[in-house]
Amino acid sequence: MKEQVTVSRNFKIITLLLIAIGAATIILGLITDHQTTWSNYLLVNYYFLSVAMGGAFFFVIQSISQSGWSSAFQRVSEAMMSYIPFAALFFLLIWFGVNDLYHWSHKGNMALDPVVLHKSAFLNVPFFFARMVLYFLLWIVFVRKLRQISLKGDLTDPADTSGIMFLFGKTELYSKIFIFILAITFSFSAIDWIMSVDVKWYSTIFALKNLVAAFLHGVSILTLIVFILYKRGYFPFLNEYHLHDFARYIFMFCIIWGYFWFAQFMIIWYGNIPEETVYFNVRWHDGWKVLFYLEIGLNWFVPFMVLLPVKTSRNMTIITIVIIFLIIGQYIDLFVQVIPGTTGILKFGWISAGIFLGYAGLFSLVVATTLSKANLLPINHPYLDESLNHKF
Amino acid sequence: MTRKFKIGIFDDEVKFISTIRSLQEEKLKIFDVFMPYPVHEVFHLLKRKSHLPTAAYFFGLFGILATLGFLYFASVINWPVVYGGKPFNSFPSFIVVTIVVTILTVTIGSLALFSARSKLFPGRDNTIFDLRATDDKFLIVVDTDLEDISIAGRVGNIMEEQGAIEVIDKEFEKVET
Repeated sequence: MKEQVTVSRNFKIITLLLIAIGAATIILGLITDHQTTWSNYLLVNYYFLSVAMGGAFFFVIQSISQSGWSSAFQRVSEAMMSYIPFAALFFLLIWFGVNDLYHWSHKGNMALDPVVLHKSAFLNVPFFFARMVLYFLLWIVFVRKLRQISLKGDLTDPADTSGIMFLFGKTELYSKIFIFILAITFSFSAIDWIMSVDVKWYSTIFALKNLVAAFLHGVSILTLIVFILYKRGYFPFLNEYHLHDFARYIFMFCIIWGYFWFAQFMIIWYGNIPEETVYFNVRWHDGWKVLFYLEIGLNWFVPFMVLLPVKTSRNMTIITIVIIFLIIGQYIDLFVQVIPGTTGILKFGWISAGIFLGYAGLFSLVVATTLSKANLLPINHPYLDESLNHKF
Repeated sequence: MTRKFKIGIFDDEVKFISTIRSLQEEKLKIFDVFMPYPVHEVFHLLKRKSHLPTAAYFFGLFGILATLGFLYFASVINWPVVYGGKPFNSFPSFIVVTIVVTILTVTIGSLALFSARSKLFPGRDNTIFDLRATDDKFLIVVDTDLEDISIAGRVGNIMEEQGAIEVIDKEFEKVET
């Protein structure tokens, strides 16, 4: 069994090339079409932040529930969490694009609108960035702490049972605190960064829906990383029961996501209040309607129907296909949420593609380098043996 | 006619499962097992197959189609009423009702099917092999009333070797399981 991930030269070259493409696209885009660039920047930034948050959530919930089966994959979720500081840097750079993204930041006529004026106590540029700094500080502190405790476990003497159990309890304690912080701050961040794009519109379930979307897609990317590592010979013990558990995770979250999506849509559709329906009115016409149906189809219908039988939930190829659908689904989900409020142009051009590729490269590089820095398996985890011989 | 049974009582899941394995290796037929909680492995070991999930799926499908069909019939064909400017076939608002009724259909359908299949009904007489079967103990029941007389001894030996806390012989007039 290979103990540590090695990042190959080719992988580094490809990811660095992708990052270069992304950076070049952003610079060129800012010159030619700055509003499209900033809205895609926000979209993709949020996309990968929510994937990293999904990884953090997976780590935290598995520690709190003391699940045995997933302890071998702990390092993968830690690697995903380690992307959060990078996301923080990119989010702070939104300072320069805030006028292109958020109508409430305008000094002109828009700020005199009574509805926007009413919200200006919460939605103003200094407070917006103060909140952003606070969220990221909290996340980074906890993610660092959890990672530290996890790495400390590797250095402990295996015979020192009480020391190992102490670290195990500590991880659980920090996870318990972090899950509350994560739920509250990530909900607020979804409201701040995504919902305030349509400044006059509001929905109370919006934050919850985005929270669940982050967990759904985070866990699916985590599963994809585990599969890729397996194909390269890293998790030789991976069996159909692990696959089934991953599939059930995705299945469960897709149901919750679908539930929230539908709850938000149905109540607005049935209530038929103009200030709420204006949001769906835009997304209900022209080409947006295709995306509107694709969103629910890719994020809920496909995973739900495909992963319903036991046989498909234990097939790696089928789960991988579902995950690819979910990756596209998450992009469409965010595209439908962000773009109509900023540029309003339904177009997936070179700017969108370039920025996405750049971030994908960066995310892969960060995850791979973090994975290579420590043992792939948390060798002293009390539940490691259970995870290696997982069966039900 | 009385039937004789050998009953092994275990307080440990691992010992219980290994006993089932050894009995099967010796080609001894297990009559019944009792567990305080479901153990998946036993289900696989005894080569039991259940079609209840498939049946539940079809109950669900029936529930969805029947509910949507009824709602469509009621609000479009039989008694169309305009509510708040919505179309007669206001599909999104039917979904909540459909989900709830589907869950009910699946629950009641599965319960009824399971009861019918395992012949459970009020007032049914059930053979109690040992009272501890309803407690926290694991029970293995082997029918020793077969032509081969040596079975009873072999079964008892295996059970004791594997760490049963008690092995008892019992006779029953009429066995209903």
